Amino acid sequence: IPGPLCYSLLLLVVACYRHLASCVGGCTDSLQLRDELRQTREKAQKLAMAICQHLTLHLRDKSLPEEQRKEMELLWVAFSSSLELLHLDMCKVFNMSDIFSLANTDALVQTGLQGSEVAARALSLPDLNQTQSPTLPAGLESQERSTLEQEIGQIDHMIDDMEMKVNVLRWMVEPHGPQYADPLSSTDSASLAVFSVDEEQPGHQPLCQRNKFCAVLFLFAVVLVAGFISVSMVLFSGVCF
Amino acid sequence: SSVKLLLVSLLSSEARNFGSMLVALGYIYPLQDHKRLVIKPDASLYRFQTPYFWPTQQWPVEDTDYAIYLAKRNIRKKGILELHEQEHYNRLHKWMNHKWDFIVMQAKEQYRAAKERKKPDRVVFECQERAYWVVHRPPPGTVSAMDYGLDRRIDPNTVEVTGESLCDLFKYNSCQSCLPSNPWLTDDATYWTLNMPNVEIPTKMRVERWTFSFGELLSDPRGRNDFRLFLKKEFSGENLAFWESCEDLKWGTAATMREKAEQIYKTFLARGAPRWINIDGKTMEVTVKGLKHPHRYVLDAAQTHIYMLMKKDSYGRYMKSPVFKETTKKAICPEEHKFSDNQLEQNARNRRPSLSPIILRQMEEEQKAKMAANVDITQLCRFTTPVPHLAVYSGISDFPSATASPSLPFLAHTPACPSPISVALDSTSASERRVEASEGEGEGNPAARGPVGGNVSRSRMALSLRRLLKRGCTPSTMFASLSPKCHSAAGTSSRIQPISPNQPSQAPPRRIANFFQIKVDIPPECRIYPIESEDEEEENRAASRGGVGAKEIICPWESLTPQNGTG
Repeated sequence: IPGPLCYSLLLLVVACYRHLASCVGGCTDSLQLRDELRQTREKAQKLAMAICQHLTLHLRDKSLPEEQRKEMELLWVAFSSSLELLHLDMCKVFNMSDIFSLANTDALVQTGLQGSEVAARALSLPDLNQTQSPTLPAGLESQERSTLEQEIGQIDHMIDDMEMKVNVLRWMVEPHGPQYADPLSSTDSASLAVFSVDEEQPGHQPLCQRNKFCAVLFLFAVVLVAGFISVSMVLFSGVCF
Repeated sequence: SSVKLLLVSLLSSEARNFGSMLVALGYIYPLQDHKRLVIKPDASLYRFQTPYFWPTQQWPVEDTDYAIYLAKRNIRKKGILELHEQEHYNRLHKWMNHKWDFIVMQAKEQYRAAKERKKPDRVVFECQERAYWVVHRPPPGTVSAMDYGLDRRIDPNTVEVTGESLCDLFKYNSCQSCLPSNPWLTDDATYWTLNMPNVEIPTKMRVERWTFSFGELLSDPRGRNDFRLFLKKEFSGENLAFWESCEDLKWGTAATMREKAEQIYKTFLARGAPRWINIDGKTMEVTVKGLKHPHRYVLDAAQTHIYMLMKKDSYGRYMKSPVFKETTKKAICPEEHKFSDNQLEQNARNRRPSLSPIILRQMEEEQKAKMAANVDITQLCRFTTPVPHLAVYSGISDFPSATASPSLPFLAHTPACPSPISVALDSTSASERRVEASEGEGEGNPAARGPVGGNVSRSRMALSLRRLLKRGCTPSTMFASLSPKCHSAAGTSSRIQPISPNQPSQAPPRRIANFFQIKVDIPPECRIYPIESEDEEEENRAASRGGVGAKEIICPWESLTPQNGTG
């Protein structure tokens, strides 16, 4: 079940998408960028779909206890906002890729960027039952365009659907978080409640837990390596002097 | 290299215009001095904006995005937000509160995603975003190209003025002769500081304006102050005070109207009022009649009369007066500013928001209250006392003293007709009473809003104090400041005499609800001067006098109420 971690993954992906989108039409615009855009938004859509289903299901459940309902509503509002952001960015990308075709690289605006791997963070996330596709061949730009159009429509539909199926009074929702963003806070999703794991859909649960496990493992490895390096440095310095 | 240098030739104004338009709309942005979106004819650097941030497609500029952007800036460096940004942020926090978790978290994610980029790219992106928001959420006091979108005209001198920004109008049409400098152009607010409403020393141009017409003088607060000072010296300040209270009535809240009208009546219009104004009988009749059912414009006739009086009479004298001459002499004519480009930049950087209008209003109120407390009146006119053979009463029949001697029309405090202009009933001398009235008046000026009870106790205290001081104080010193120009032109008319001691604690007589008319034989050229010559004699007789009868000013609209002796 998508817990708060999955939601913060969505936010991560949406943020990456925005960074990528801001490069379209500039001098770093390239096939690779467009490809990264595509992959990022596909990831975002999958996450969004999952969260949407989960939320819709729970919020339509009349027997939900009051406190859980409140938390769900909070997540709902946050989720719909991120969806809107994604939708807006996708529309912008769609619009701009019309104007700035990669076939004519001279028309690209010299914005002063050099190009960097923004998407790596978003794309390195474990895929949700999907294999990575290779770089898009140049001739399929129009296909890409129509795919994008379709996906925009899908997101649109999802937003509409959400509004139709669940009636959340936005102005009644009270956020938990602080007024100012604190970069030092480690718990991203501290402001969103931790959900109880739903036993009915075990497939998703190990995904997020696996993520946590991977992170811990990685950290451990880093610490080990660092320790090793410092020890070897001490030894070497001992040898030299 | 990725940075394009954009050089604009000074001679080519067309190029310069085009460049200005580009930078104002956000297609290119300056690298230094990012807050001022202008093309400078020097070697400063500009960069092309990325199409994502272009205004061409007129994508909606979302407040959500702005909130995220500000939150991000704050993450980068706490407290970096400028004042107007801080205000925006707080406002958005209030209005978009339900989304706030999302905004904060998204800001963090965007911040972290940016960190993934190489440092130069990160810097470029930050500049891009910053430039975007300078265009779409301009700092206060800036002319924004987004005001009328992409259809905005650059040249304000074209025939059609419908699409013009207000700032442009200010720049090019008015303030041509702004000294020291036009703040809209140079970002230096000296012009405004020198022309504040109640500045001590006005500018020469301002003083010159007062000479154009009486209306100009009155409408300028500084001019009005000067005029008031002049009238104070001439002892005809009640005209201006009356005019001002009429304005107050006209512009005040409906709830206070009745009270204000009462106040004005008692202070200015009633028989024996402390600041009686000299209007003709017909106008007085109309006004008093209208006061029965007071409304906003009930005093219009009287106000116009007084206005004309001041205009024809006092204004001319004011122009020739030493007060005005003094003011003219002291008026300053500031030197014109000549700012260099660097100084202009400095000025732009040092722009600060002005005082909040709430604070300004508070200051105004304080000023008004101070002025109200300093009112100088001792203007009881002997001509306003009811002369038995001249005065025409109607309906008031129960004054035993009416036949005996003309009673001093005093304003007494009653519960039915409360008046801050209240006098304690156990005064012992006419002059004391008069001084008392003036003291009470000081608190009871239409502008003051003290509680009635408080004023009563205050006046009583003042009275006892006066009595203490009376021993060491001669009336001549008390009235030394009064105008020496008082001529007893009609000295044979009645004098104010203290109430006979026959009714020290008599219950006030029953009044009948009527408005009374008074026809007093006042020579038209008579001015109202405080009575000086008779005071000393009265003072000498003071000790033998007893209490005062409860004679009250009856407002025409009060209904009859049986009184019980409390005064």
